[in-house]
Parts: sequence; structure tokens; C-alpha cells
Amino acid sequence: MRTSDLVRFTFGTLAAERQRSALTMLAIAVGIAAVVVLTGLGAGLQRYLVSQFTQFGTHLIAIVPGKANTTGFSISVIDTQRPLTLTDTQSLLDLPGVAAVTPVVSGSLTAEYAGKSRRTLALGIGPQAPKVWSMELAQGQFLPEDDLTAPRPVVLLGSELTRALFGASNPLGEKIRIGGMGFRVGGVLKSKGQMLGIDIDDAAYLPAALALQLFNRDGLMEIDILYDQHEHADTMVKRLSRRLSERHGSEDFTVQSQDQMLASLNSVLNILTFAVGALGGIALLTGGVGILTIMSIAVAERRGEIGLLTALGAPSGLVMRLFLGEAAILGALGGMLGVALGLAGLGALHLAIPALPFAPRLDYLLIAEALALLIGLMAGAWPAARAAQLDPIEALRSE
Amino acid sequence: MIPRDRLGFAWTALTASRLRSALVTLAAAIGVAAVILLTALGEGARLYIMGEFSQLGSDLLIVLPGKNEKGGGPPGMIFESERDLTLEDTAALRRLPHVNAVSPLSVGAIQVSVGARAREAPLLGSDATLMQTRKLKMARGEFLPALDLHQAQAVAVLGPTLARELFGTASPLGEWVRLGDRRFRVIGVLAEQGTSLGQNMNEVAIIPVASAQALFNNPALFRILIEVDGRARVESVTRSATRLLTERHQGEEDFTLITQDAVLSTFDAIFGVLTLSVAGIAAISLLVAGIIIMNVMLVSVSQRRSEIGLLMALGASPALVLRLFLLESLLLGLLGALAGLALGRLGVLGLASAYPGFPLTTPAWAYLAAAGTALGAGMLFGWLPARRAARLDPVRALTGR
Repeated sequence: MRTSDLVRFTFGTLAAERQRSALTMLAIAVGIAAVVVLTGLGAGLQRYLVSQFTQFGTHLIAIVPGKANTTGFSISVIDTQRPLTLTDTQSLLDLPGVAAVTPVVSGSLTAEYAGKSRRTLALGIGPQAPKVWSMELAQGQFLPEDDLTAPRPVVLLGSELTRALFGASNPLGEKIRIGGMGFRVGGVLKSKGQMLGIDIDDAAYLPAALALQLFNRDGLMEIDILYDQHEHADTMVKRLSRRLSERHGSEDFTVQSQDQMLASLNSVLNILTFAVGALGGIALLTGGVGILTIMSIAVAERRGEIGLLTALGAPSGLVMRLFLGEAAILGALGGMLGVALGLAGLGALHLAIPALPFAPRLDYLLIAEALALLIGLMAGAWPAARAAQLDPIEALRSE
Repeated sequence: MIPRDRLGFAWTALTASRLRSALVTLAAAIGVAAVILLTALGEGARLYIMGEFSQLGSDLLIVLPGKNEKGGGPPGMIFESERDLTLEDTAALRRLPHVNAVSPLSVGAIQVSVGARAREAPLLGSDATLMQTRKLKMARGEFLPALDLHQAQAVAVLGPTLARELFGTASPLGEWVRLGDRRFRVIGVLAEQGTSLGQNMNEVAIIPVASAQALFNNPALFRILIEVDGRARVESVTRSATRLLTERHQGEEDFTLITQDAVLSTFDAIFGVLTLSVAGIAAISLLVAGIIIMNVMLVSVSQRRSEIGLLMALGASPALVLRLFLLESLLLGLLGALAGLALGRLGVLGLASAYPGFPLTTPAWAYLAAAGTALGAGMLFGWLPARRAARLDPVRALTGR
């Protein structure tokens, strides 16, 4: 038989039992669609989290005191005998490749204005913080370019905090009290919403030196560095470590670039996506059993036809190929239907939850399709072998 | 037809094509087994985490400094505020009724060294009550002595991992360790224990709180732990502690009180959703099994046209034919459910023997839901084929046209 005849013959038999073929494909398609949707969700979550992490820019490096443990948290952030200081921050400014540096210390303080008071997130930062975190102003100005260790008492307010304290009136230049200390409002930031669950609009941004004073601590929680686009993250990490090690006498801090953080985030989420996809694969297995069932029914029903083919001189290899081809086509077409269904499902989800990006993974789509074909072949193997082994005389007699 | 005959009829039809019935049963069984196995894993993970946390006791209250008006951000994030939690706050809390123990806690990282061996370790400053509030067990020696809160003493208790790294196999009891720039005498070593409240207790050094405050030159406490006398009193103590601390802090509620229960119920909710969604994913294969049942039953109806025609010619009503075929697909679903339950149970037992430390139990609802879904799938997807059989014209069916 020529290949074109083989293909026509196989499709012919599938088309003759249209309803049966369609249902078998549907069974495979549901499994494939599950895999596509689940991996798509995983990839969408991944893209969402990465965009949350990179919304402050991508060329960032963070230094925290002490050695971070496996969860990425360093207990030295709470208290340590070897703190990161404001002068440490200043010493990093003149390193080549460093574009901007800001100290970070955070806590909770009371902001008071005209009888109104509100407990709020207080962030101690430096004047270069807007550049590091790409902050944007709604009105006023950023913190003045003062010496880090002796700043003027000026504060930037988040939009939510401004609304709570000032309502509709203009806050610029007003005197407010934060943690009992008097500050002049220098500017109001544009709303940026939540960042990983923390509302950064309900926050006051004050000079780090004054925040340290209010919190009565001498160490920073973090130093954030923005480096030049053309520099490489690893060389920057090395350069920063060397400078700080010289100052501290030992490496009693952890330098982590955003690339490293993203890499570990990505590897975790990849595993998650794979695991969820594998769960969806259980349905695919069930679909494979469906192909197996239908193919063995077909072999039993078409004994006469098989007997005739063999009697006319068709080698058993050809009979096998015919049935195997049928099973493979069922799998492959079911797979395509499933990919289409899955993509439609993902699209619908994206419309329902706009925050979740529509992120089908091409590699998973291809793997799913290949898997469907493979399952078809595997499920078809046994019935096909049975068909090939039929004794033509027996088969014809039973007609 | 009496019900027994009907059952016999359906059963004969199923056993006549044994391979086919076995395969369809397998398809349904895979789905049921997957649901049972995966919910067991999810439930196991939940029990494991809950167990870790409830080691601490559900009668624990945790006070942390700082408060956010909107509760934005996890409370664990805050550890600085303009008014600190102090040792005086601790002493005041101790005077509240229905309070078993109150432990101050200051935390930081410090260089620990013995001779030339040195490493960075988490340092906890507390007092004798910490043993009770954190449910600590000693491997050797003693825990911190009962001291006045403000009294420093150069004694330290080490976690087992830290002790091993610093002293090897030699006994650390009575030896000196250097914490930062001061020397402390080791009086005890903790027994091996897991992570509690996110802090690995195997690597810590514990010293009297006044000594820790001197080392870090910081009078602020990181947390205050309160053990309440009985779970029922947690709420009333929460209220009285809030009132007391607010009063002490010039009328400002600049601290956050969380109960162990609140933390636990959050975890509980998260894991509940997780288990449910994993079970849902597994249930997709039950949908697939349903489609296969429908497919096979349709094939069966078309193969048995003459049989159906004969039945009807003999006076069987369409309703009876419908019921006969529905019964057949229901039986398929039932067989699948039973096989799946057995398979899933076997898998759970296998996993349980492979990982004895992990609590694996399938919740009862999962058994019911899985078996019910399989039966439901048999019914639902059997409907179309059964209806087709019932609508057959007996004359046409018998003449094979």
C-alpha cells in the first residue's frame, strides 16, 4: 500500500465511525486542555510575580546585614553587632558603575496633622531613592540632596496617607509630626498600589538618619543600589562586596542582585508549573485508556475486514500500521482540539481576571501535543498487535 | 422485569465484553484513585504544618511592636516603632490574671566563637519562662536560671547544631563561648527540634534578655510571648493585654497582638483551598472517564440493536430499555469507583509506609466525593446512549436497517 492510500484508508475508517472518533478525541482533548490551562496559569503567575518584582527597575542590587539563610531572610536585619551604616552607604556612591544608592530602614510610626493621626508604614530612605526605585511625584519635590548623616526634616507622603491626613487640601509645605518629630511635607508620590501585599501608598518616606533616630537603632535594614545598564550584575556584586569587606574587615553582609532573586523565583515557579502540569497529565492517562478501549472494540468489530486484508496478501506489518495509524491520528487530532480548548480557556480566564497575564507556554503546548500523539501510539500498540496476529481463516469464518 | 432480573441483564451485558468493561472501569478508577491520593497528600501537608505550629500550643499570644492602620502587609514585617516594647511592659503583663508565663524576646545575629572556630548565629535573649512558652526540651544541662528581668548573667544555652559545630563531639557544658565581644558559660544544650514560628531552634544561642540588650545596645524587644491559662481565656487575655499596653504607651495602640489561632486558621484556609483545587484537577480525569463511558455505551447500543429490537417486540417499554442501559453505565461507574477506592487506598498505604513521618489521611469527604462523582459520571454520560436505545424503532432494529 502506498503511504497516501494508507492515510486515506485510515481516515476513511475514522470518518465512518464519526461519533465514536469524535468522542475519543474529546476524551484526549479534555486532558490536553487541562495541561494547557494549568501550565498557562503557572506561567501567568510567574509573569505576574516577576513584573511585581521588577516594577522598581531591573538593575538593582540589595545588601542586607549578616548572612541570609535559605529562606533569603537575614536575622541580622532585626539586630546585629555589625550593622550596615549610613557611612557604608556613602562609601558605595563613588564606585564605578553605581548609578544611585539608597539606605532603607522601615517600621511603623504615627503621623499626626491638625488633630488627625494615623499609624502608617515609615520608610527611611536617601535622596537618591526615587532614582533607584523609579518613584514618581504627584506634586512637590523629592527629598533634598542633603548629607545622608545630617538631613533636613522633610518628608514625602504616599497618596493614601495624604488623603487620610489632608483630605482635599494642599499638603505641600505643611508641618506634620511623625513619631513625635516635626517634618515639612516636601512632596506627594504618585499612587503605585500594592507591592506583594504591602500598600506602599499608605506610607511616609523620611530621611534615613531621622528614621534611625526615631526607631532608636544604629543599623540599616538594607542598602539598595541601582547600577548602570551596561554593567554586569555579577561584576557589580563583586565590586560592592570588596568595598564593604574592606570597610568591615570581613564579609558580614549579603549582597544579592535582582537577577539572582529572579533566578531563584523562576526555578521555584518552573517546578510548580511542571507539577501542576503533571497533575493535569492524569486526565491524559485516562484519555489514553479511552483510545485503548475504542481501538480494541474496533479490532473486534473489524475481524472480517482484517481477515480479508490478510487473505488478499497484506503483510501483518501493514495491518499493524493501519491500526496504529488510526490510534495515532485519534491522539494527535484530540491533542490539537485540546490545545485549542485550552487556549480558549486561558483567554476566558484572562478576560475574567485581567491581572493574570495570558501566557501560554509554547514549549508546554508542543510537549502536550507530542504527548497526545505518543499516548495514541502507546494505547494503539496492543490492539494493533492483536489485529496483526489474527489468523485470516479464523477471522473470516467468524463473519 | 423485577429489579433482580434487570441487574442480571446489565451484568450479563457487561461480562459478555469483559475486556471493554475492564478498560472502562480502569479509566474511572484512575480518576477516583487520583482524587483520593492527592487529597491525602494535601491533607497530610496541612496536618504536618499544623502539627509543627501547634507544638507551640494554641494558648499562645504574640505581641509585636508597631501597627498599621489598614493592616496592610503581613504583621510579621514590622519590627520597628517609635515606642518600643520593653522589659517593663513584660513585667506589667505578668501581673495580668490568667497568664501562665510571659517571655520577653530580643533577637539578633551575632558572631559565636570558641577558640578559632567561629560562625554567625541567631541570638535569642529571653529568660527562664521561654522554656515553657516555646515548649523547648533540653538534651543536657539546664535552661536559663530564673533571674530578675534586668539582671544580666554570662550564661548561654546552645541549639544542638550550633553546639556540634562549635564543640564537635566534646561536651560543651561548663565551657566558655564568645558571643560578640563577651564571654558566656554554656549551661545547657537544647534537644533536636524542628522549626517553630519560622525560627530554626537547632542553630540558636539563648542568653538572658538583659545580657542580649547589652550586647546589641538596644532596649527594644522583638516580641513578647504570653502563654494564657487555657485556650478559652485567650480572648479575654487579648483584651486585657491590649488595654494594659495601650495605657502604658500613652494611650496609643502602637503594637499588634496576634494569637496562635489566627496564624493557624490562615494556614488552615490556605491548605484547604490547595487540597480542594488539587482534588478538582484530579477530578478532570473523572470527566474524561465519563466521556469514555458514554462512547463505549454508544458503541454498545449500536452493536445490540437487534437485541433491543427483540426486547421491545416482546413488549418492553422504552422506559424499561432506558433504565436497563442506564443501569449498565451506572454499574460501570460503580465498578470504577470501587476499583479506584481500592487503588487509591493502596497508594496511600504505600506512600505512608514509604514516608512514616508524614501524616497521610484521606478526608472522608474525598472518598464520598470521588465515588459519588464516578457514579454521577456513569449516570450523566449514560443518559444519552440509554435514550438512544429507548428511542429505537423495534421493526427497523430487528430488520437491521
